This record gives sequence, structure tokens and C-alpha cells, in this order.
Amino acid sequence: MLSARTNVSKVECVPLKLAESHRIGILDPMPDDALLTSLLSAVEAAPGDVPLRLHVAELLADRGRLPEALAHCTQAITHDAANPAALALLHRLTSAISTPEPPVFDWTSAEEQVADIEPPEFAHVEDPAPAPTIEDIERPTVTLADVGGMEQVKERLELAFLGPMRNPQLAKAFGKTLAGGLLLYGPPGCGKTFLARAVAGELGARFYNVGISDVLDMYVGASERNLSQIFDAARRNAPCVLFLDEIDALGQKRSHLAHSTSMRNVVNQLLSEMDSLGGAGDGVFVLGATNHPWDVDNALRRPGRFDRMLLVLPPDAAARASILRYHLRDRPVAQIDVDKIVRATEHFSGADLAHVCTTAAERGLAASMRAGQLRPLTTADLEAAVREIRPSTGPWFSTARTVTAFGNADGSYDDLAAYLRKNKKL
Amino acid sequence: MSTAAQRVEYLRELGRFDDAEREARTALAAEPQDATLLVALAAVLLGAGRHAEGLAAADAATAAAPQDERVHRLRGLLLSYMGRHHEAVQAGYTAVSLAPEEPYAATGYARVLQRAGRLTDAMTVAHRLVALAPNSAASHFLLADVASDLGDRRTARASYAEVLRLDPQHAAARHDLAVLDARSHRPARALAGLVDAGTMDPSMPQVLQTVTAVLWQLSWRLRMWLAVATVIAVFSGSGTEPSWSARITAAAILLASAALAWLTVRDLPAGTRPVVRAALRTDGPLRFTWIATGVCLAVYAVVAVTGLRVLVVIVWLALALLGWLTLGVRIVRSARRRG
Ligand SMILES: Nc1ncnc2c1ncn2[C@@H]1O[C@H](COP(=O)(O)OP(=O)(O)OP(=O)(O)O)[C@@H](O)[C@H]1O
Ligand SMILES: [Mg+2]
Repeated sequence: MLSARTNVSKVECVPLKLAESHRIGILDPMPDDALLTSLLSAVEAAPGDVPLRLHVAELLADRGRLPEALAHCTQAITHDAANPAALALLHRLTSAISTPEPPVFDWTSAEEQVADIEPPEFAHVEDPAPAPTIEDIERPTVTLADVGGMEQVKERLELAFLGPMRNPQLAKAFGKTLAGGLLLYGPPGCGKTFLARAVAGELGARFYNVGISDVLDMYVGASERNLSQIFDAARRNAPCVLFLDEIDALGQKRSHLAHSTSMRNVVNQLLSEMDSLGGAGDGVFVLGATNHPWDVDNALRRPGRFDRMLLVLPPDAAARASILRYHLRDRPVAQIDVDKIVRATEHFSGADLAHVCTTAAERGLAASMRAGQLRPLTTADLEAAVREIRPSTGPWFSTARTVTAFGNADGSYDDLAAYLRKNKKL
Repeated sequence: MSTAAQRVEYLRELGRFDDAEREARTALAAEPQDATLLVALAAVLLGAGRHAEGLAAADAATAAAPQDERVHRLRGLLLSYMGRHHEAVQAGYTAVSLAPEEPYAATGYARVLQRAGRLTDAMTVAHRLVALAPNSAASHFLLADVASDLGDRRTARASYAEVLRLDPQHAAARHDLAVLDARSHRPARALAGLVDAGTMDPSMPQVLQTVTAVLWQLSWRLRMWLAVATVIAVFSGSGTEPSWSARITAAAILLASAALAWLTVRDLPAGTRPVVRAALRTDGPLRFTWIATGVCLAVYAVVAVTGLRVLVVIVWLALALLGWLTLGVRIVRSARRRG
């Protein structure tokens, strides 16, 4: 068919890396703009300026940021209690907040607001994964037993990583070297970071999480810490699992980094640090995680470095059940049929499930606010939330399909290819 | 550049647009008029395809730093993606006027002109860009792209070759060169190039789409050949009885088909098969077309054995059916593309 061919659009001028990750990224729209930002700082500079504050409150309200708007409105009223515009806005805001489903409502802050009224129930709604910084070399308390389901992954971890670590002599007898790291890969939000922490817990080792913000600090030279200091610190804290999260940022293909010398230097440094690790003798076990292993420099995947890859897929039924239970544990619930929700959420990632629970909690909160008393979450709330949320793993799998077609000559994506064959619709 | 702006740039370069945006907005809350941050934010939003929001940031940056070339360059690109070509070209021109020696400004201006359909002007700017930055693969890539839009295949080919010489892993250049091959009716070469491009950057989604288009092209060729062969088979004799002339014609057609197929596939790289399979999986009608064409060849094999010339009618019917199917698919798809 000729038209299909002649209409093939050439690859766009947007740098390729961007075009690709755009498809993977989930962009959460932030209703914010430069005008508002500057007005907000103006208000800070002149707290007593009632008309300005009201204007800001109006803008915030227009953008659906009702709690903030309300805060500014009340501030204005404390300065000028009789201001009719302020009173009118207050009325508008309070009625907007109590309408059944406001268009965009900042539920996180709303939940924070009710935290005092309805004791700790809503206090822990945030995603449990904290932003990692280098300082937190922690001793994780989670173990593989806390990871719900995912038996295959656990078994592979046991055979390829944990077993040899626990029995170094035996491993040696079989000529299995302990040098080199294990690279966890898979769609976003499916438990890679969680698994790495559990592995450290399992080994009774410390857990040293190096995340994207540490990497950025290295790039911009904002911190003294560089990779060799990180590896040294890991050695001092042995036994230690050194977890290089989002390794695609740290070990980006050097050919992609044509313009950025400092980024390329970091990749080279990482290569030499990986080579300097002497297996289990050091007591440093390196784990990496990435959503895009195909963006990782090939040199990092050579023997002695990240020579083994482990696919972490969206949670299976057992995992979904345990994730749902975890996210509902501190929320007021009434006889929830977890199995029913589990069946309705195939291909959902762990993060999607957390999102489902938050969305359901929003509904519950709205209903409670309307009723003026606490109404616990129901299966129906969760089902409604499931209908609203599409699994975020779709784009990842469509990229994965291309990758297995082009990039699996060496068989490193066999697991992924097999999974894609089994799930043709993904 | 401030540390914050640098972080935003790095995050953008890594393709982490949401992180980059968050970083930029946080920094902007403290310094709402920082032009560098606003430019960085606009670039992030451009990368993320959120052009209207990007334009708001770029406009704010214009107010803060009207003499900064980057501001106008980004405004131009954003306007261009929003289809506001006239303003886009103006902004692009402002950028090159402010920084006549800056390759990025020239790049932006050329892109804007190209997207506005002013290809000859874009070509002039692209040549200027190559003069400004002769050792950058990006310069030659732009020139190649504009030249290929302009139909100047020779310049395009030479420039793509130069890109690949400067940066052998430039997957986009490899892909676009393959597109050029396909347009020059060399589907086998195109396919080989596409397999290369996909191996360089397997996460580039366009490659598989282009492979599909090339497979359509190949199937169209095969069907044209079969149509000609069928005419020959029909006119080379008559009668419903088994005949040696029918056997010989059919065998000759099969042999010629095999020779054509061999000529097509002999230079294809080893990794072609999984790629073709993946492409066929994404396109049902294409799959059907190939299966039906295979059936046609099988019919000729039967004729070669039995000598029953009448069976050729099946091939006729199948080819006619495929012709209609192709037409239907083409109409539906181009309507969908437009709608
Ligand atoms: N099998 C599981 N059992 C219990 N909880 C899980 C399981 N899998 C994932 N989770 C939960 O899902 C959430 C997301 O997991 P995590 O942050 O580890 O994903 P990730 O793969 O590292 O994501 P990203 O690619 O975004 O870094 C975590 O809060 C974790 O608690
Ligand atoms: Mg993670």
C-alpha cells in the first residue's frame, strides 16, 4: 500500500530520547503558571493587601486549588472582616468544596486538613516510598516475605543472588562468581525498589539507596559526593546492598550523551567502580533497577558488571491482594471484597493500585464530608476507582514489544518476549 | 546557569519531563522571573508535547529577558507546533537576528521555516547551520531532513551519510535514510536500514511503523508481479484439461518468483525475521495480504503438478480481492489520520 509508505512521517526533530521517554512518562498536569507564581510571591511580600490576596484566591479557585484559595480567602477576611468580595468568595469556595465531585480538588491537602478531626486514619496516605538520599544507609526491616506473590521473581532472586551470597563457599565450588550486579527491570511502579529493599532485609545487610537526585547532584557538581565515595561508603558499611536506582540515568548510553561531558564522565566512573568491586569479599552487593534497560550503556552489561537481568512484571493476583491490603490498612474500610478488586486490576502496577486506593479514599472522604460523619470505604468505592484508572504500564509494554523485536539478538530479553507472547493484547 | 536550571536541563536530557517540570516549578516559586529557568521549563514542556503551557512559560521569559535568543527560539518552536506558523517564523527570525552565530538559533529557525512549508528558505538556513557547526551531526541531520522534504534526494543522502559518519549510532538518521530508500523504490534496502536503526535504538517506536509500510510496499510489488504472471498464464494456452504447457508456465512463474524473492532477501541482515514478525503482528490486513499471496503461490504449485490451468482463476480472484482490501484499508487509514 503506497500511501502508508509515503505518509510515513520522518522521525521528528525533537531529540529522540525525549520523544521516547515522553511516551513512557506519566505527566501529571500541574495547574500552575508563571503569573500565579509571581502573584503568590507578591502576596507573600505584601500580606496585608486584601484585593491582591482575593485576586490570588480567585485564580487558585479557577485552577481547582480550592484549599489554597480558601486559605487566602480566610487570610483576607482576617484583615478586612467586612469585605463583601471576600465574603462572597468564601461562600463560593465553601459550597464548591462541599459539592459532591468538584472538578479538581486537592485531596492530599484536604486529607491533611481532616487529619486532626479523624485521628490517624488518613495520616499515612502518602506513597510509602520515601525520597532517597545518600545519608539514609538504612537497615531495612522488610524481607521477601513482605513481598506479596511474585513467586517466580523471588525464586530467581534466591537462585541467582541470595543463595550464592549466603553460601559463598558452595558457590565458589561450583565456580560461580559473586562479582557483578543484578539488574532489575520492568514497567514503572511494579516493585523494583521495594524488592531491592527486601533483598537487603533478607541478607540482614544495610541498604544504600542511590537515586536520581544523587545522580543529578553529581552532574551539577552540587555535592562533594561522587561515585567513588559512594562505593567507599558502601564498603565501610559492609555487608551492604548498594542499590543504584534508575540506573538508566546513571549509566545512560554514552552515545546518547554526545553533548554532556559530565554525564559521560559519570558513566565511565561507574564502569570503573563496578570493576573495582571484588565480589563477596567486599561485602558489597550491587543491585540496579531501571525501567529502560535498553538505554543503559552496553558496557555496563558486560560480565562482572550488571551481567544478569531480572524482569519484574506487574504484580500477579497474590501481589495485588497484598498491595491493596497494605494501602487500605490505615483507612476506614467496611468489608471489602479484595478478591473482586484483584480480578478487576490485571496489568495494574503497584503504583496504579496505590492510586486506586487513594481515589477510592477521595470518594469516601467526599461522602463523609457530605454526610458530616465518617463513612467507611466500600467495595463499590474501589470498583468505581478501578473504572476511572487505566493501568499505566501500557506504553511501557508497547516499547517493550519493539525492543524484543530489534534488541533481543543475545537473548537477554527472552523473559520479556515470552511474557509478551503470552499477553498478546498488551 | 543556576544549579536548579542545570538540574532541569539534565532531567530533560534524560527524558524525565515530569521530574524536570517539578524541579523547574519549585525553583520558579522562589524566583518567578528567572529567564533561564523559564526557558528551561518551556523546553521541558516542548519535549513533553504540552505546547500551550510551554508557550506561557516562554512568554513569561520574553518579558524577563527580551534580548535572550533562546527565548525567541523556543517561542518559535512552540508556536510552530501549535500551527501558528506566521508568528513562529517571526520569533525564529528574532532569534537568529539576536544571535547570528549561534547554531541552535539557526536550527530553531530552520525547523520553524520547514514546518511552515517554506522549504527553500529552510534549506538556506540549514546550509548556514552546516557552515556554523560543520562537525555536528545535528547540523547535517537537519540539512538532510529539509533536503529530503524538498525532494533533493542527492543532498539528503549525502547529508545522512555525513551524519552517520560523525555519529555512527544516530538511529534517526539511519531510519530516515531508510525512508528515503523506500521512497526510491528500494524496499529491501530500506528494510535492512530499518533493522539497523532499530538495533541502534530499539525503543524508537517509529521504526516498526516504517517496517510495516515497507512490507506493504513489498507485498504490492509481489502482487503486481503475480498479476502479470497470471495474465501470461491465462494467455499461454486454454482448455480445462491437464496440459504440459500449463505445467511449464506455472513452474516458470514459480521459479521466477523464487528468483525475485532471493534477490530481495539475500542482503537482509540476520535480525530481520523477528522484526518482520513483530511488524506483521501489529497489522492485521497486512498479515492477511501476505497469507493470501502465499496461497496464490501455492495455487501455482498445484497447477505445476496437476497441469490444471483453470485453477489460475483462484489467483485472479484472490488478487482482485486483495486489491479491494488494500484500497479499503488505505481509505480508512488516511481518513483516520486526518480525523
Ligand atoms: N509484590 C508486592 N508486594 C507488596 N507491595 C508491592 C509489591 N509490588 C509493589 N508493591 C508496592 O508498589 C509500590 C511501587 O513499587 P516500587 O516503588 O518499588 O516500584 P518501582 O518498580 O521501583 O517503580 P519505579 O519504576 O517508578 O521506580 C511500592 O509502594 C510497593 O510497596
Ligand atoms: Mg523505583
